[in-house]
Order: sequence, then structure tokens, then C-alpha cells
Amino acid sequence: MTFARLIRIGFHRLRSIFRQGAVDREVSREIAFHVDLLVQEYIAAGMRPEEARRRACQTFGNPALLEEQCRDQRRVSWVRDIKQDVVYGVRTLRRTPGFAVVAAVSLALGIGANAAVFSVLNSALLRPLPFPDAGRLTILRTIDVQGGRQANASLPDYLAWKERARSFDAIEASLVDQRDLGSEENGSPAERIGGALFTPGLFPLLGARPLLGRLPTDDDLTNTRPASVVIISHRLWQRRFASDPNILNRTVRFGAITFSIVGVMAPDFRYPDDGVEYWVPMRLLGRERQASARFYVVVGRLKSAVTVDQAQAELDNIALALAGEAPDIHGGWGARVQPMHEALWGWTVAPLLTLQIATALVLAIACANVAALMLARGSGRTPEIAMRAALGASRGRIVRQLLTESVMLACLGAAMGLFVAWVSLRGLARLTPPLGAMQLTAVSLDARLLAGLAVIAVATGLVFGIVPALSTSGIELMNVANRTSPGAGRSRRVHRLREALVVAQISLALVLLIGSGLLMKSFLRQATRDLNFDPNGVLAFEYRIPGPGYYKPIGTYQGHPYFPVPPLIIASVERVHERLRPVPGIESVAGISLQPVDSPIVPILSLRVEGRAQPRTDAERSWSSARYFLITSDLFATLRTPVIRGRELDARDTAAAPWVAIVNEAMANRFWPGEDPIGKRFRLDVLPEEQVREVVGVVRDIPIRLNQVSGEPIVYASYLQQPSHYRAPWANMHGHMTFMVRSSVDPLSLVPAVRRAVAAVDPDHPIFNIRSVEAALDQSVRARHSYVFVLSVFAVAATLLASVGLYGVTAYAVAQRTREIGIRIVLGAGTRDVIETIGRHVLIVIVAGLGIGIAGSLLLTRLIATQLWTVRPTDPATYIGVSLLLAAVALGACVLPVLRALRVDPILTLHAE
Amino acid sequence: MPKPSDLLQGTVDLLILKTISREPLHGWAISKRIQQLSDDVLSVQQGSLYPALHRLEHQGWIAADWKDTDLGRSAKFYALTREGRQQLERELESWNRLSSAVRLLLKRA
Repeated sequence: MTFARLIRIGFHRLRSIFRQGAVDREVSREIAFHVDLLVQEYIAAGMRPEEARRRACQTFGNPALLEEQCRDQRRVSWVRDIKQDVVYGVRTLRRTPGFAVVAAVSLALGIGANAAVFSVLNSALLRPLPFPDAGRLTILRTIDVQGGRQANASLPDYLAWKERARSFDAIEASLVDQRDLGSEENGSPAERIGGALFTPGLFPLLGARPLLGRLPTDDDLTNTRPASVVIISHRLWQRRFASDPNILNRTVRFGAITFSIVGVMAPDFRYPDDGVEYWVPMRLLGRERQASARFYVVVGRLKSAVTVDQAQAELDNIALALAGEAPDIHGGWGARVQPMHEALWGWTVAPLLTLQIATALVLAIACANVAALMLARGSGRTPEIAMRAALGASRGRIVRQLLTESVMLACLGAAMGLFVAWVSLRGLARLTPPLGAMQLTAVSLDARLLAGLAVIAVATGLVFGIVPALSTSGIELMNVANRTSPGAGRSRRVHRLREALVVAQISLALVLLIGSGLLMKSFLRQATRDLNFDPNGVLAFEYRIPGPGYYKPIGTYQGHPYFPVPPLIIASVERVHERLRPVPGIESVAGISLQPVDSPIVPILSLRVEGRAQPRTDAERSWSSARYFLITSDLFATLRTPVIRGRELDARDTAAAPWVAIVNEAMANRFWPGEDPIGKRFRLDVLPEEQVREVVGVVRDIPIRLNQVSGEPIVYASYLQQPSHYRAPWANMHGHMTFMVRSSVDPLSLVPAVRRAVAAVDPDHPIFNIRSVEAALDQSVRARHSYVFVLSVFAVAATLLASVGLYGVTAYAVAQRTREIGIRIVLGAGTRDVIETIGRHVLIVIVAGLGIGIAGSLLLTRLIATQLWTVRPTDPATYIGVSLLLAAVALGACVLPVLRALRVDPILTLHAE
Repeated sequence: MPKPSDLLQGTVDLLILKTISREPLHGWAISKRIQQLSDDVLSVQQGSLYPALHRLEHQGWIAADWKDTDLGRSAKFYALTREGRQQLERELESWNRLSSAVRLLLKRA
């Protein structure tokens, strides 16, 4: 077909659809012209004008019919049919608004939630990372061979891999970093931002180019140390520098050091995670090379012919060799190669798949519901449809009419589903990733989602339209003519089908309810767990003095460089603490080096416990270690953490006094089981000048992480009793104190007074990250489990949908059997008999639904086992409780129809016959 | 006067295309011309002429234009498009094949 012809045909089609009136007028004008010429011909042949016209019209035939025939030739009659169907459909839907609302809302839930979850799934799991040839990027980690715990890499790991591994084109490393960005002349205040240090080959390895400026070169590293060039993120550029196009070579102050901005990255560049706002090239120093802290994020680009498994095998061999050569550093550690996509997004698989299954279940229930509703309506509309068939509508035409209705419902559902999707997306974006993984941001209602919605809507319309449409349009006229026996066999079949649909709905709803019930239980357990401190009415803020000697290591111990702790820091903390005590409204105040729960990093130090053999292997060392916090006096009184033995730190514990420590229960149980831990002595193996400490108190376990199940050993030591040096990698701990303020009033109302008090001591270092501890914990709990809430909403929706389905079936059964019930009542049946008559079927449906649902749950909840905290996937309490709940709701849905059955007036019923 | 034979369905298209191949014509003129040229043997009923014109136009074989007639009234004139002319060739060819086959059969049977 030639292009010109295509255009011509298209033009005519469009004109017939959109300018139908004009086309019709042209046809009548053409016909009128023809008739006039015919008249003239007859006159010329000698007829009188009136007779000629009459004759012409006779010859010509019915012009209306001719116009209609012309219209048929245009091949667009389907448009008119659809228009008719739509108008008709709207009219029927408006006549039964209850049906329309229930059906559309069910679909809105199903469609909206599915679209939202799928679009997140798509952006997180299906889309490749924004790097060229990203499939070859891998993250290399170390793994504790015995415990299976994963860690990042240490510097020796990184260097050894880089030197020995042949599977990779390149291996580079980065290190999480945080710095204080100094205030600007334009008034931007000082702030603390997250960034990364990286080896210069990293950006070329990733294939990332800056949006502006350049990448650092080796020259940047040779002059001074550390390198004084920085690349900033697009976000930081926009936020802090108002997207200044002349940003390059501008200088910024990070703490005491001045950096020159040489590049700005593109907006979609996020590496290694979202929190990174700047990248500073690092040079690896000789004395750091022995350090064994596993903090480096190592990325490798696989050679094109090498698979992940081959690379894994090679790294396994290297790890074995390393463990043999240097057991003190590498003993007990293996290596793990993980595709970068999996490393960054793998965490979303479990929750997203759970949600996807849940939303698919909701959609299935919604479809079953609408199918059941349509089926019921189909029975109700039997006479109407029979009438239409009698008037000559073809079966195809009737099916199409019904399908139009379904698709309209689906579209209505999809439109409302947009709103549901929008709400769900907001919920999903709050899923919190683990450390080092990507956050779900920048997923919005986009074109893809809309397309997805449309497809789901139409597919749903077709699916739930077809079954009812086929069974409805198959009606024989005979049955309708004889209204008293409306095709008993067929009606029973339809009813059976509806019952099956309700059984399916109940079982699907139960699976959802049990799944979300388990997650909810786990969530509540975690949210309401005893933290062993009282966050109510506690204000927390950070106070920090970056040490001037930050970058001047003065020696190494066990391979770690160490730095002096300036006496000024300790003196300042002491004075701030003193100054805060008398502030009105403050009941008590204390400091701790890092917030007690959910700090990103808490140091682990190895211990030498008196009376125990020195740990030799890596495993022994890791057993004989503890978390380490520096604290001020009164901490546990302020937190209201029970001190179960001994005492807490107080005024006696000065720098000059004998060194002491407070330990938690887990520590006491590990090292001195069955003994009194008070008076026991141990030494932290951190620096030579660390002194032996005596345990003076035991406190209850405060979990390091909210989701920690059993406590791990913790040592709390006085910040006054610490070495005059600190050691990498615990650098940040020492210039830093998190103050906890307990008050009887609203904690946030104390903020101005607290600020003034600190400023009076130290005007140069403003406090930051001021928060109510209770609110911060709430938020973290909420964020962690926002999706449990979303799931529960789905489960509740599913339950309601299933109830609506059951209600419909019961009501229908009652309506069908009104006559039978009436006769029974006449024959002396009591309330009980009537309830039994109806109830037997209802009970069968409910029990079957519950049975299938429980079986399904036993199978499916295994999938969420890893997401459950201290709750088993077969938790009997949840199964029984939720089943009873669903049974109760289902029975509730039958109450109304059963009451109606009881109120059947036998006389009226029999009269109606 | 013997009644002009009803035309086989499908041959109408061919006749219309052929008739307007020399110059653009309106509907009335097309039907007159067919009658004339066939010595009043063939006639296209209005009932099939206008739907056929419509169909051909919507298939892109012919294009219509409103023009004034000799009588001073405007009428819809149909002309062959370039694709229509090729279509006419094809239809002629298939008609010739069919009619010679029929003639052959009638002669030999």
C-alpha cells in the first residue's frame, strides 16, 4: 500500500469519526442532486412536475436507507457502537451505584497497589545501574568463614586482591567519610555532610564522568597530603552552591583543610550510596597498609570473558593463600564477589516480592469479587439481555456490550488506582536500606506506571468480563419466557461458580492476613521491645570538637596509626557537662560517645580478661571482644537504665582515679558466668597506655541495633579515663559527645536554653542533630516497617473484599430460596431451622476458604521467614487468631441476609407465586 | 424496453473506475455514462452506485471534489487517484482473465 493512499484512507477514517455530521450532509446533498436531475429528466420526457418528483422518489428508493448503506461503507461503525455501549454502560452503572462503587474501589486497590509495587520493583531490580556495561561491576567483600557475617574489605585485602586477582580489569576502593563543611561568605551555615574517599582509579572503573570539570589525576595526589581536590555531588551543587556555573576551582573548607572543587557529578551518579555528597581522592599510606579494619568498599570490573563464579573461585584461592601467609590479619576470613546490582538493590528483593505477591493477591480477590458481582448482575439482567437478543442483537454484540462495561469499570478503577498508587509509592519510598545499599528514591508516578496501569486495567476488564459475559449471554429465550423456572440447572451452576469464587477470595484473604499478621507481630515485638532505657522526655544533641591534630598520626599500634587526643577536647566536654546540669528544666544530663541504639558504627575492641587465656585465633579474638562507649557520669540515671549490680560512674571517677568500667549483662554473662562481675578486671587491647579496668557496675543490655535479638558485650568507660591518643579507625569517637538531657517538660522546649549553655562554654562549636530521642526512635521504627503497615492495609482491604463477596453470595442464596423458606416456615420450621438451611452452605464456603488459606499460608509464609523478627513463619497464635478473626468477619457479612431470611413472610411469598 | 441486467456485485467497481478514467464525473453522470456506453444494456442502481462510490473513496482509489456543474449547481465529482489507476489496471486484467475463461468454457462445453 502506497503512502499517499494510506494518508488518504486515514484522512477519510478520521473525518468519518470526528466530522460525522459533515460527511452525512455531503451524502444527502449528493443524493438530492441526483434526485433533482432525475426529476428534470422526467419533466423533459413530458411529465408534470409533481408527478415527475413522485416518480423520481419512487425510482430512487429510500434515501435514508441509502445514506445508512453509505455510512456502512466507511468502516467506522464500530466507533459508533462503542459510543453506544459506553453510553449504555454508564446508564447501567449509574442505576446500580452500589455495585459500581464496590467494584471500582476493589479494582482501584488492586490496580493501584500493583502498579506502584511494580514500578518500584522495576526501577530497583529490573533497570540496570547507570554505569556503562554495569553488568560487569562487582562488589568485593570479606566474609567471616565461621559466622558467615559479611564485612567490607580491609586495606590489606584490597591491596592483595588488586595485586593478585586476574579476573578483573580493575579493582578500586572507597571509604565512607564525614566532614564539617565550613560556613560560606554568602551566609550558608556550617554543616556536616557525608562523602567518600576513593582511590583515583575508581571513576574510570565505573565509567563515570563529571557533569562539570574533571576527575582528579595522580598529580592531585603527589603534592600535598591529603589531596586537596574534591568532586561534589549534583545535589550538593544545587543545594549549597545554587547550581553556580562558575563553581570549578572554588575553594571550600572541610574542617581545617581547604579543598578546591574540580568537578560536579551528574544527578544520577550515586556511589557508593545516597548519602555521599563529595568525593575526595585518597592516597594509601604505608603505615595504614597493615590496618585490619574492614571498612573499604571495594569494587571490581570483571574482565569481559570472566563470570562471577570464576572470579569467586579465584578470590577463594587468594583468601586461602592470604590466611596462610598472614593469619593474624586474614585468618578466618574469606572473600565474596557480588554483582554490584545485587549488592546495592538486593535488600529490596524480599520486601518488594512480598508486596508484589500481596498486591497480586489483592488484585485476584478484587477480580474475583467483580466477577462474582457481574455474575450476579448477569442473572439479574437475564430478561433484559434476552430482550435484546430477541430484538436481533448478535451474541457477539451482547458480549461486547458486557465487556465494555467491564473495561469501563476497570478504567474507573484504574483512575482511582492512580491515587492508591500515589499513596503506596510514598509508603514504599520510606523503606530503609541497610548500610551501603541504595535507598528507593526518585520513583514517581511516571509514564511507565501510567502505561502499566492502563494495561492492567484493560487486562483486568477482559479477564473478569469474559467469564460472566459468556455465562450471561448463553441464556436461552425459553427460560426467560417462563419466568417461574429460570433455568434451574444453569442458575445452580452460576451459584456454584460464585461460591467457588468466594472460597478463593476467603483463602487468598487469609493468606494475606496471616502473612501481614506475622509481619505485624514481628514489628510490634520489635517496636515495643524493652530497650532498657526510657526514651520519653529525653533530648539528644551532638557536640563535637574536631581535633587540630586530626591528620598528624604520631605512631602506629598493631598496624593502626594513632593520633593525640588534645586535652582541650576532654576539658570542653567536662565544662559543657557542668554547665548543662543547672539549666532549669533539666533533671539530669549525661554524655555518651555515640548514640546507644542504631549508631552506624560502634567500635569493637578486643579484650584481655584477667584469669582467662589470651585469645590467639581470629575466632577467639572475635569472641573476646566488646563494643566500646565512652561516657560521662550519670548516664544510666539519665537514660533510666537499670543498674543491676554495683554503681554507675560518678564524681569519684576522675582522670587520676583508678580506671574502671561498667559492663552490660551480656558481657558479665560471657566472661564471668555464675560469678560476681564486680571487681573483675580486664584490659582493652587498644593502645599500650590503656590501663587495666575494674568492673564497678553491671547494667541491663541496651540493644546496639533495634533489631538485635540477643545482647552483645558492651564496655562503658569514662571519657576522663582514656589514653591521651586515639587510634584509627575510631577517629570520630573522641572529639565527639552525644549529650542526653532528661527533663520533666517537653524536651524540645529546652533547646534554646541548652544552646545558650553550650555557647557560653564553647561559642565556636554549635551543637547539632538536636532531636527528641523518643521521636527519633519512633521514626526509625516507622521507617523500618512502613511496609508492614502497607501490607496490613492490603490485608484488611482483602478481608473486606472477601466479605463483600460472601455477603453477595449469601444474599443471593437467600433471595433464590425465599419460596422454599416461606414454605418451610408455613410447615412449622423455626428460627433455628431457617438459619441451618442457609447457614450450612455459608459454613461450607467459609471452612473451605479457611482450610485452603491455611494450607496456602504454610507454603507461602516461608518466603517471609527472613523478614520476621523472633516470630516463626508457622506461629500458631497468629494462624489461629487471624483465622478466627476472618471467620468472624465472614459470619458477620452473612448476618444481614440471614436476618432477611428469618423475616420471610410465608403468606406474602406464597401469594407471589 | 428490456430491463437492463443487474450487474454482478464487484463489476460495479470496475465499471465506475473505467468510466471516470477519462475525466472526473459526478454520480448522476456516471450512471448515465454506463447506461449510454453499454447501449442501455447495463445500468447501475442508485442503491449500489452511491455506496460503491463511498467505498472506493474510503479505500483511496478515487478522490472527490465539489465543483460547479454546467447547470450552475455544485456536485461531487469523482476522479481516479494514481493508486486508483493502478487498481483499475489490476481489475481489468482479472476481468479479462475471467471473461475469456467463461467465453472459452461456453465455446467448448
